[in-house]
Amino acid sequence: MPHYPEGTVRALLQTELVTPATRAALEARLNAPADYTPQFFDADTYQLLRAVAARIFPQPDRETPIELAPAVDKRLTDGTADGWRYDAMPPDREAYRLGLGGINQAAEAQFQQPFMALSAEQQDVVIGQLAAGKAAGENWQQVPQDRLFEEMLAELTENYYAHPLAQEEIGYVGMADVPGWPHVTPNTLEPREPEPISN
Amino acid sequence: MPDEEVLEEGLLNPVQPEIQDPLLKSILADNATPATEPTGEEAPNPLPDPTDEVDCVVIGTGAGGAPLLARLAMAGLKVVALEAGPRRDPTKDYATDEKAQNFLFWNDERLSAGQNPVAFGKNNSGTGVGGSTLHYTAYTPRAHRGDLQLHTDFGQGVDWPFGIEELEPYYEEIEHFLGVSGPTPYPWDAGRRKGYPLAPLPLNGAALLMQKACAQLGIQTSPAANAALSARYYQEGIGWREACTNRGFCQAGCNRGAKASMDVTFLPLAESFGAEIRADAYVTEIERDASGRVVAVVYEQHGRTVRQRCRHLFLCAGAVETPRLLMLNELALNSGQVGKHFMAHPGMQVWGTFEDDIRPYKGIPGGLISEDTHRPKDADFAGGYLLQSIGVMPVTFATQMVRQRKLWGQPLRDYMRTYNHTAGINILGDCLPHAANFMELSDEKDARGLPKPRLHFTAQENEQRMNRHAEKLMRQIWEAAGAKDIWAFERYAHVIGTARMGLSGDDAVVNPDGKAFDVPNLYICDNSVFPSALSVNPALTIMALSLRTADKFLANLR
Repeated sequence: MPHYPEGTVRALLQTELVTPATRAALEARLNAPADYTPQFFDADTYQLLRAVAARIFPQPDRETPIELAPAVDKRLTDGTADGWRYDAMPPDREAYRLGLGGINQAAEAQFQQPFMALSAEQQDVVIGQLAAGKAAGENWQQVPQDRLFEEMLAELTENYYAHPLAQEEIGYVGMADVPGWPHVTPNTLEPREPEPISN
Repeated sequence: MPDEEVLEEGLLNPVQPEIQDPLLKSILADNATPATEPTGEEAPNPLPDPTDEVDCVVIGTGAGGAPLLARLAMAGLKVVALEAGPRRDPTKDYATDEKAQNFLFWNDERLSAGQNPVAFGKNNSGTGVGGSTLHYTAYTPRAHRGDLQLHTDFGQGVDWPFGIEELEPYYEEIEHFLGVSGPTPYPWDAGRRKGYPLAPLPLNGAALLMQKACAQLGIQTSPAANAALSARYYQEGIGWREACTNRGFCQAGCNRGAKASMDVTFLPLAESFGAEIRADAYVTEIERDASGRVVAVVYEQHGRTVRQRCRHLFLCAGAVETPRLLMLNELALNSGQVGKHFMAHPGMQVWGTFEDDIRPYKGIPGGLISEDTHRPKDADFAGGYLLQSIGVMPVTFATQMVRQRKLWGQPLRDYMRTYNHTAGINILGDCLPHAANFMELSDEKDARGLPKPRLHFTAQENEQRMNRHAEKLMRQIWEAAGAKDIWAFERYAHVIGTARMGLSGDDAVVNPDGKAFDVPNLYICDNSVFPSALSVNPALTIMALSLRTADKFLANLR
């Protein structure tokens, strides 16, 4: 798998190649405080969401993983939406409560323990069941698990790839757009576009 | 012709034109007078001064509302536009960051029902001064004659109540006003009178890969027509606009003013002729007198309720909010057609991974087009589609990818590491109206206490056949281009229909001039009045219809 030189995005953010608005948006995520206190979820449910997010985006390569749960908690606290919802789904707050509860029910059904008590491998089995639409649990009679999984996966994915370090991981440097991109044809990089490093 | 001296003196700021004309100054000053504050429970909507009646109120400042606002102002009418969203300064407020630009989208929740629930928000609906054009990809192909006569040609769908010749002069006018970059001559429309004012934008990775593969397969391609400037351009009544820098961020807001969204084109033109645009003005009520004429519009702005009297109303709020306002106010419902015939363009995408370093964030996303599939010879469906190359930003790409492929864990991170090597093609296909596809008000309320809209959409046999045809062809193209790991994403974009235009009030909401059959002084102009979906991106046609509606209205006034 290709990877890109570490520090690329942090270095770009210090240059005049990035507009102030862009720098402000990215630095806010980059420098988010580590100790987020949930406002919407209770402490246990929040830890459960963190644990699920950690299996959907495992980050063994990072000393400090990118936190994906704070943005979800904040959005649900604010009550904001992305413009639409599957009609088959309950409102977002209810969907997350029922969905996370359902994940615990699936863990109990399979391993007789709550999700947080499982090994990483066991947690992956439970998420795999959810992804395949085969998780056990009474909550899934109130919320369709295929849609719940899709919506949660999409939101966590959005939060992950909105983070500057995740963008660096995939070689995205589009935030450094001030001079424009005169070279748009394949294999013609601007000096500020890093080349992948082969392992 | 451009006047360099004027430019150097800085008088041609398109957002705040310097007003020299004393008459215009006084009109603007009058219009800037703040609305009366509510005085208490007795008078939540105080009667305004009788002189506070304007000729026209326009609800919505997107592709449907902005061109006609300019036209009406230029004719000397006193016009006010009400825009639900805020007014922003793109150069300061638009970060090159997808999440930071979420404010551009209409993010109030809509309920999506049916077998193919349509995504809203960033997929198709905008808010703010400029409406959805703030985030349209600036594709501006013209509709073809056949697009307006599906019933004549195929015995399915309905014809428009007029032919393409009614739109052509407006297409030409708008292309030249906006400064559309495109190929001349246009390969699929040899009879065109005038070429595009600017040369095409440069082709990026996805466009070049598609071009080469299509040449091998005998499919004709051409650089697309895009309403983004390939060179600095002087716009009449506005001034110089700067050229595109290939930033690739067209799916969100352009921070340079190169993309012809309404906030840098028709809206400053309208304001230079005295039109007033009120931002953050969310319309809740449309008032009528005993005879059924609209007499005023009520809106919420900064926590207060304001009432604006008007002689005529233009509803240009898009194919969801327009029928929603009609339903909430029990307006123009006699035909029974409001909310019916909701259409969404099949917008299937096919993605592949290439050896080449492509960087999909560079260049105009929609660089290359083919209209060879407008009426494919081997089609088993009515209508047709066009092919477009696509670039994409990482968050948008990642979220649609997981919705389709359901990757998670290490495979998800591994796949996304190929982002710089991915390229896509998509279609924009016609869609037939169907009784199963409609909008209604749900029982669930939004934060304002108003019912949320619910939209039902199920791709019918015709859309399914078209998708199968298109997916097969796009996979062939990407195989010929040498792609690995090809996957398709079935999606539906644009909201069309719900307040159909037609010849009779028995089966349509507005007449061919955009005037409501039921209400003597109500006009509707946006994608809701389209009788058919068209096999091309809708923005240019919405703008053309907007100017035509204004001209018909002005002709009737005389």
